This record gives sequence, structure tokens and C-alpha cells, in this order.
Amino acid sequence: MAFLNLISVSKIYPNALQPAVIDFNLNVEAGEFVSFLGPSGCGKTTTLRMVAGFETPSAGKVLMDGKDITNIRPNQREIGMVFQSYALFPNMSVADNIGFGLKVGGKPVAEIKERVREMLALIKLEELGARYPFQLSGGQQQRVALARALAIRPKLLLLDEPLSALDAKIRVSLRTEIREIQQRLGITTIYVTHDQEEALSLSDRVVVMNNARIEQVGAPFEIYNFPATRFVASFVGTLNTLTAEVVDPATGLLSVHGQPIHAVAPLQEQAGAQVALALRPELLKISTERQGQNGDGDDASENTLKGVIETITFLGSIVRIDVRVGDSVVKLDEFNNPHLKLPKRGDAVTITFGREACLVLDRAARAALPA
Amino acid sequence: MSAALEATKIERAPAPAAPLQPGRTRRTFAPFSWLWWTIGMLYLGLPLYGTFVFSLQKTRGTLSFAAYTSALSEPLFLRTFLFSNIMAFSTIIVSLMLVVPTAYWVQLRAPKWRPAVEFISLMPFVIPAIVLVFGLIKTYSRPLQLLGITIIPPLTNSTMTTNVLLVAAYTVLSLPYMYRSVDNGLRAMDVRTLTEAAQSLGAGWPTILFRVIFPNLRSALLSGSLLTFAIVVGELTLASFLNRPAFGPYLALIGNHQTYEPAALAIVTFGLTWLAMILINVATGGKKGATVTGVR
Ligand SMILES: Nc1ncnc2c1ncn2[C@@H]1O[C@H](COP(=O)(O)OP(=O)(O)O)[C@@H](O)[C@H]1O
Ligand SMILES: [Mg+2]
Repeated sequence: MAFLNLISVSKIYPNALQPAVIDFNLNVEAGEFVSFLGPSGCGKTTTLRMVAGFETPSAGKVLMDGKDITNIRPNQREIGMVFQSYALFPNMSVADNIGFGLKVGGKPVAEIKERVREMLALIKLEELGARYPFQLSGGQQQRVALARALAIRPKLLLLDEPLSALDAKIRVSLRTEIREIQQRLGITTIYVTHDQEEALSLSDRVVVMNNARIEQVGAPFEIYNFPATRFVASFVGTLNTLTAEVVDPATGLLSVHGQPIHAVAPLQEQAGAQVALALRPELLKISTERQGQNGDGDDASENTLKGVIETITFLGSIVRIDVRVGDSVVKLDEFNNPHLKLPKRGDAVTITFGREACLVLDRAARAALPA
Repeated sequence: MSAALEATKIERAPAPAAPLQPGRTRRTFAPFSWLWWTIGMLYLGLPLYGTFVFSLQKTRGTLSFAAYTSALSEPLFLRTFLFSNIMAFSTIIVSLMLVVPTAYWVQLRAPKWRPAVEFISLMPFVIPAIVLVFGLIKTYSRPLQLLGITIIPPLTNSTMTTNVLLVAAYTVLSLPYMYRSVDNGLRAMDVRTLTEAAQSLGAGWPTILFRVIFPNLRSALLSGSLLTFAIVVGELTLASFLNRPAFGPYLALIGNHQTYEPAALAIVTFGLTWLAMILINVATGGKKGATVTGVR
């Protein structure tokens, strides 16, 4: 039996036009780090708040440790929560903030003191116990908020976009820190984010949500490489999208700016229909015209697209190359190495990719793409 | 009479300055800010200064505190002043108990009621005190009955119940100030998230209110209370029509019969208001950071 079960949980806010969460089913194992990933408004926070007890499900049940907690008050649940806005108590010092839950729980003063010290060490802010929240940076405040939530030894830790208010650099370092702390303590954790990089890098499993529903649940590797729905394919990862015309639906033949492309499976659309073709940058290979002639391009399972180099961006470990194909730009990544022979701007090149790299997106999935 | 009015005006003046924000970096004033600041200070300070100088001139030819000695040694002064203070503190307590939970609840759970509550809180500005007091007398001088059963006996028959009525009326008068202050304080501190943070840490309602909400509302409660204090201590209409021995009517009385004493009393009450403000600030622990309304 999993540690946390959400069973057919739905939420309809009074006066809302649409349900915020529909038929949400999830089992979270003890010690697992699970992320809810999805665009803004898809119901992540609402689901998390139902676990925390701040919202009551309109239907369904929440079980923790086998016990039905659906109607238990939030202060009886022993669930730690970290908010986007930190929510530290402004009138209390850092140490008092961290010790608040223990004090409320009637723990002896000496024990509280010891635990606070332990927590300050955990978040590497030993020196700052006497400070007040307004004297800390955003990153420090969020670490204190994490320590405060963990001090009570909660059964479950919930984080709602904890890094969204921080700037990029701190976001990445704090992300690593959260994961380290979570693994050291082995605490079951649910993490809400709209940032796919965060979700993929932190989680044991990712729950991708859209329009109040779960789209897919899986390990980051699975989600990224084997998206179950077109929405997941389009939301997770950096995609190139090209307009393509269906030529022969039965064989999966498409035409991109007059060049034939084979999809991996037959298509549902009619011949002549316009579809969006999505290509992952890291699945694309590039060769200059001369190299392209030496035979391997004829491999029947490989697709090719001819284009012209537009820009080359050096990003450290990878080099991102933009290739113009007709009126679209295809981005592709090359791993950097000292022997890499990079083409130049204006060079004619051929992009090669397998059939499985082709994702044909429906209209809904296209609409969800970032512009 | 004019001295009495002046006294109330002066008393009210300092209160809006109450939400002090230490810990903030001081802004450098542009030249024009200085000009307006100076004009403002003169506007507030000159009448006070004038009153003060005037109050020292009871003994012809010299400046002395004779007016103060005479005014303060008057037993009626002490009695009425004490009475008004008791009324003021009772009003503050009733008003806080009424307004804080209401504003908190509106903010937390019923934001759609905000316009209605704000409208009600502004009623005292629309209904003059004289109308209010006649309404109260007319309603509560008879037993209040519902279906032939007396719910509230006549209140104006005994001093005790009249005092209750007076405190209730003062609570209404102070509503706009109290509600504004508390609401502003609540808005500045993200009540909802703080409440939820406390709940997730195991806190129940009393703990949330007394350890999280109230402490962070300190300066808001303080300024609301001080405004209420100032209004009640100087209030004239309600007290005189309900015939209670309050300070406002007393000031009006000696304003009609004496020359220098009213000015001295105005200065004294002004000083006492400031003293009360400082005392409350110290008593509630005006230490680092804790004074800020809750946001950085
Ligand atoms: N208290 C509320 N009352 C009414 N509707 C709400 C409330 N909270 C959220 N919603 C709606 O529910 C949907 C899901 O919201 P939310 O769970 O906050 O999404 P997310 O966290 O994924 O951005 C949104 O359409 C939002 O407008
Ligand atoms: Mg959200």
C-alpha cells in the first residue's frame, strides 16, 4: 500500500465555471519525490491544498498511511507546507519561526532549542537564528520556511512553487539543496511547479497535468522520452515545431516545405491536412552537403531536411545551431568537444533524424505550446 | 467651546503618524517635499504652540503654569477625565473584539462581503452624532420588545446601562477608524498564507490569532486604538445628551466660563494622548522588526 493515496479526487469551486480538478488518482510511495507539473491554472495548487487540508474535495478521498484524512483539519494532519511567498511570521525571529510548530505542539523548551539548532544546520544558516525574516534574502527566507516545515517531523512535505519568486541562479542552487535535504531525510514530498526543468531534475516521478486532469504519470526519463499524450510532448522539453502537410496518412508520409518526412505511425488526419510536426533538438543530427552524400542519408528509416545555417550559439557543454528550413527555424544541439567541426552561418546543411523523433501534434497540443 | 473643539482636533492630529516604520531606509526629501513638510508642520504645530503660549498667561505679565494648577486641581476635571478614559478603554476593547475578527474573516473567507462591511463601517460619517444619539435615546429608553417579550430593558434608566449604551455608541463612532486601520494592517500581511502556514504547523484558531495575527497587526491595532481614544475622550454630543459626566462636556463647560484653563487642558490632553501612544508602543514590545506591519 502506498503512503499517500488520492482516489478519484475532484474539486469544483463554488461559482466556478469549470472544475479545478477532475478525477485525480495517484499513489505516492513513502520517501518518494513527486512533482505536479503543468501550465498555470491546471489545478496543481488545488490538488496540493486538498492534500494539505485547506480545501475539501468535492468528490473522492485522500488517504495517508492508510487512514482517510479527507475531512481531517489541516492542523491535525502533520503535513509540512512551503509556500511560494515564504509566509514566514514577520513578528518572529528565524529561530522562533522554525520552533513555532514545536512550541504549538507543547514540546519542552530544551528540545525545541536543540531541534532549531539542528534545522539551522540543515539549511546552513546557523548564524542567522536571531535575525528577523525581513533581514533575510528571498533564498534564505525560503530555506527558513523549509526548515520550519520540517522541524515538526511531518509525515509529508508539500511545496507549492517554492522557487518561483527567486531569481534564476538561486533557483537552481536551492533546487539542488531541496533535493539533497529530501533524500537525506527520506521524507515523502510533493512538489508543485510549472517549470519542467525543475520537475524533471528533482523528481522520482512527475505528474503532468492539463485542464484539471492528469495527462501522464511517470519517471522524468519516461515523461521526456515517451510522452503519452500530445500535450505532454509539447509541454515537456524544447520542441521545434514545423508546419507539415499530410501526404499519405496510411504510411505516415508528410511534406515539410516540399521535403518528404516519414512519421513513425499512420496518421489520423486526412491527406492535405495541415499538422504541426514537433522535433526534439537533441534527436537531430546535422551534416554539411558534402558529408550528406556519403550514403548513410539513404537509410530508409532516417528522415532528412535540407536547410541553411542561421545562427550558432555556444552554450558551454552544448552548441545550439539554428537552421532555416523554408519559413521555419529548426534548433538542434551538438555536444561540445574540441574536435567539433562547426558549420558556418549560411552553409547549406542536412538535418537527419529517425522516424521516432517525429511527433505529430494535434491542434490542442499546438495551442498549448509556448509561443 | 472653541477650545474644546480645538482640543479634539489637536488630539486627532498625531494618530495618523502611528504606523511608524523603523528599519526602513530613510528617504531623502526633495526640496518640494521639505516645503510641504514644513507647511504641514506649521499647520499642525502653530495652533498647538499658540494654545500653549496662551495657556501660560493666566497670571498677568508673567508666563506661569497657574492655569494648569487651577485646571488640574479642579475635582470635576479628574472625575470627568477618568470617566472618559474608562469609556475610551472600554470602547477600544469592544471595538477590537468586534472589528478584528470581522475584518479577518472578511479577508480570509468572505472577500465578497468586503464592500458591504466597508459601507457599514462608514455609516458614522453619514449619520451625524446628534441623529445617532436621538435614535439611541428613542429606541433604548423604552423596553425593546419582540413578540411581546422584552429582549432589552430600558437602558437609559440606570447609569450603568447608560454607560453601556454610551460605549456601544462610541464603538459605532470609532468604526470607520478602527476598521480602516485593522483592514490595512491585514492587507499588508498576507493573512491567508500566514494563517495556513500556522495551521500546517499544528496551530488552532486561538494560537493563530494571538501568536500570529495580533502581533503582526500591532501597529494597526495601535493606531486604531489611539484614534478611538482621541475620539472618545473629546466627544461632546453623545455624552451630553446621554447626560454622562464625560470630559468633552466638561471642556465645553469651562470653555464657556473660564479663559486660560481650557487652553491648559487642551495642552494636557494632547500630552496625555502622546504619552499613551508611547506607553502602548513600549508596552507591546516595540523592538526590532516587530513594529513593521508585516511586509518588508
Ligand atoms: N478559491 C478559488 N475559487 C474559485 N476558483 C479557483 C480558486 N482557486 C483556484 N481556482 C481556479 O481553479 C483552477 C485551478 O487553479 P490552481 O489549482 O490554482 O491552478 P495551478 O496551481 O495549476 O496554477 C483555475 O482555473 C483557478 O482559477
Ligand atoms: Mg498554483
